[in-house]
Amino acid sequence: MKTLPVMLTLSALMAAPAAMAQTVQAVASFSVLADIVENIGGEHVVVKSLVGPNGDPHSFEPMPKDGQALAQADLVFVSGLGMEGWMDRLVAASGYKGRTVVASEGINTRQMEEDGKTVTDPHAWNSMQNGVTYATNVMNALIAADPDDAGYFRQRGSAYIAQLTQLDNWAQQAFAQVPEARRKVLTSHDAFGYFGQRYGVHFLSPVGFSTDSEASASDVAGLITQLKKEKIHLYFIENQTDPRLVQQIASASGAKSGGELYPEALTEKGGEADSYVKAFRHNVSVMIASMK
Amino acid sequence: MIVLNRLVVGYQQQGVTPELVGEFTRGSMTALVGANGSGKSTLLKTLCGMIKPVSGSVSLPRPRPSVAWLPQHADIERTFPLTVFDLVAMGFWRQCGWFGGINRQRRQQVLEALARVRMLPFADASPGTLSGGQLQRVLFARLLIQDADLLLLDEPFSGVDSDTLVLLLELLAERHRAGCTLIVVLHDMATVTGHFPQVLRLNEHHSEWSCRDGGEAGLDLSRGGGARV
Amino acid sequence: MTLIEPFIAFGFMRRALVACIALSLSATPLGVFLLLRRMSLVGDALSHAVLPGAAIGYLISGLSLVAMGTGGVIAGLTVALLSGAVSRFTPLREDASFAGFYLGSLALGVTLVSLRGSSVDLLHVLFGSLLAVDAPSILLVSAISSLSLLLLATIYRPLVIDAFDPTFLSAQGRWTSPLVHGIFLTLVVVNLVAGFQVLGTLMSVGLMMLPAASARFWSRHLSGMLLSAMLLATFASFSGLCASFNLSLPAGPAVVLCAAFLFFISILFGPCGGIFAGRRILSMAKE
Repeated sequence: MKTLPVMLTLSALMAAPAAMAQTVQAVASFSVLADIVENIGGEHVVVKSLVGPNGDPHSFEPMPKDGQALAQADLVFVSGLGMEGWMDRLVAASGYKGRTVVASEGINTRQMEEDGKTVTDPHAWNSMQNGVTYATNVMNALIAADPDDAGYFRQRGSAYIAQLTQLDNWAQQAFAQVPEARRKVLTSHDAFGYFGQRYGVHFLSPVGFSTDSEASASDVAGLITQLKKEKIHLYFIENQTDPRLVQQIASASGAKSGGELYPEALTEKGGEADSYVKAFRHNVSVMIASMK
Repeated sequence: MIVLNRLVVGYQQQGVTPELVGEFTRGSMTALVGANGSGKSTLLKTLCGMIKPVSGSVSLPRPRPSVAWLPQHADIERTFPLTVFDLVAMGFWRQCGWFGGINRQRRQQVLEALARVRMLPFADASPGTLSGGQLQRVLFARLLIQDADLLLLDEPFSGVDSDTLVLLLELLAERHRAGCTLIVVLHDMATVTGHFPQVLRLNEHHSEWSCRDGGEAGLDLSRGGGARV
Repeated sequence: MTLIEPFIAFGFMRRALVACIALSLSATPLGVFLLLRRMSLVGDALSHAVLPGAAIGYLISGLSLVAMGTGGVIAGLTVALLSGAVSRFTPLREDASFAGFYLGSLALGVTLVSLRGSSVDLLHVLFGSLLAVDAPSILLVSAISSLSLLLLATIYRPLVIDAFDPTFLSAQGRWTSPLVHGIFLTLVVVNLVAGFQVLGTLMSVGLMMLPAASARFWSRHLSGMLLSAMLLATFASFSGLCASFNLSLPAGPAVVLCAAFLFFISILFGPCGGIFAGRRILSMAKE
């Protein structure tokens, strides 16, 4: 029949570009990282995020379908610096033998206190300067994994990096205009270390940066005293820790709620912080507004 | 007064007695005897409604007579932090209900009941420190206080010394003379059953009513027959 | 005066103390009765059975007192009722059916909370936020506590009778004994639910049972035991909060740790059966 050769030709035509432009199956540890990969990879990457929107990247309970996704992945992205302690076991269990890209490679790390111990602060992406490094590492990893689309990745990557750099500058200027004495923020999650360092903002919080340690009365009392002393009047609730504790501290010290910040997780699609760029813009704008 | 309508008693749908037919007349004093496992205690519990019958029914008159139950020691929590006085005062439950107080008159009655069973010196002791016989006497004192029309006693004489036995039988006889209906589960002890005008003997396959002095007894239409004495 | 100072200076300390004391007063008498009726582990089981109800409340309305509380009470009562029914109509005894239902309930609760995405919230539900007790929480806990005490006083007499001699009430009527048992279990569930807002599901049963177990060593009479239990729990609340403040310990666990410490002291030195109290009497007798 005549249709058969036509069908064969058509499928051959379709197969050729498909063979050339393969899709990279990527798995990212959490939503922020997944968003970065998606922005750079575009239509040549399919990303799955293990820790979903509003989730906590420090403590993650994997399900069998996560192991499955890993086994079938071409490339795995983690943020690194000790945050994804759960990833090693998951990789081993899933049998994934490919490359695990550490997106934070090459940044200047900082230390912080957790439960009396000094550890490396893993929340590097909250400083847009580091964000540029993340994006660069992601871009290079994608190019290495799928060289045929190098040009595509490079083009998207550069545009994205330019956007991030511009955001970094904007944030620096915005905060510089606020007098230093007023550049203080109370939030229940200590994940803004790099942010504070980069943009000169001083953060206070009631618990250590790990979301699952429990507060002692002396911690809480100490913070209330400090707030009253420093005359802070705005606080921010994270989207994954106990808001009642923050409210308790605030009512004792006279401070009010300033809205939500998003340091560790993006919102669902359609929410006010559903991309890395939007989350950053939101965080900075809200903080600036609260300092006025 | 208590009519048995083809009653079969047991646990979880398993009957342990044959069909029982008959009546415990008002003011009767019946010994319920039989070998271990013949269903004596089960029957007693079914009579006052603690357990549902496997088949058949029990008819009690209206208004329902007041019931006093004497438990086996195994059913009691002896280490509970009560005093003997409190234990006996429990007998006033029917009269006092949930909130009624124990006034001076009632307090006096409790002490009198304790004296009657010769346990007055032990009023402040805890039941866990009493011997079997002593505890039984205290439980009898509670029975006296309850002043009920129907007395159901589950093996009240097991492990009791002979002095106590005499005292307790005397108390039961007293209650009987006062017009109470008594049904008492016993092991088949000739000396004891001699004190009971009516006897219902149970075993796996048939039951047998007998009456000591030829007076009114339960109707013995039970399977396998039985003799009217 | 440094012990009292934190309570004067900080509202959250006062509120935490009031919440704990309210619980100490209403939950510990229930604990004493659980102990005397040989139902100690039932308290523990019920505190876990409560979890899926709280989880569902949480899934619907987040960390809302009313939603989680109502859900918790329903779940706890359901498990209690189901266990009772199963043990009544099947060969399985009450402790075994309880074990089955509460374990299933706990697993269901963990699953439900995990579904929402964060195990952090699970930890808050399990461990509570004693330092986050605010004015509405206090009102709720105090209201529950007062009502619970009132209801306990109402059923006191039949409860005592039934605990000592279960045959007594059931011989006289079919419904008194199950009614009292039902009200009692309801009170236990309600107090556990009130407790988990403050101390979490794992810890609230500690404040209910530990002082009750300790009270055995301080009095031979029921009224004495009830009073001792309440006093011990109050003391544990106070010292636990002090320890949290002065030694930087997490607050909820500190309170229960103090209760446990008092328990050990009671075993060793309690006047009614304490190990060393007995020895002293023996050596005095020898002299």
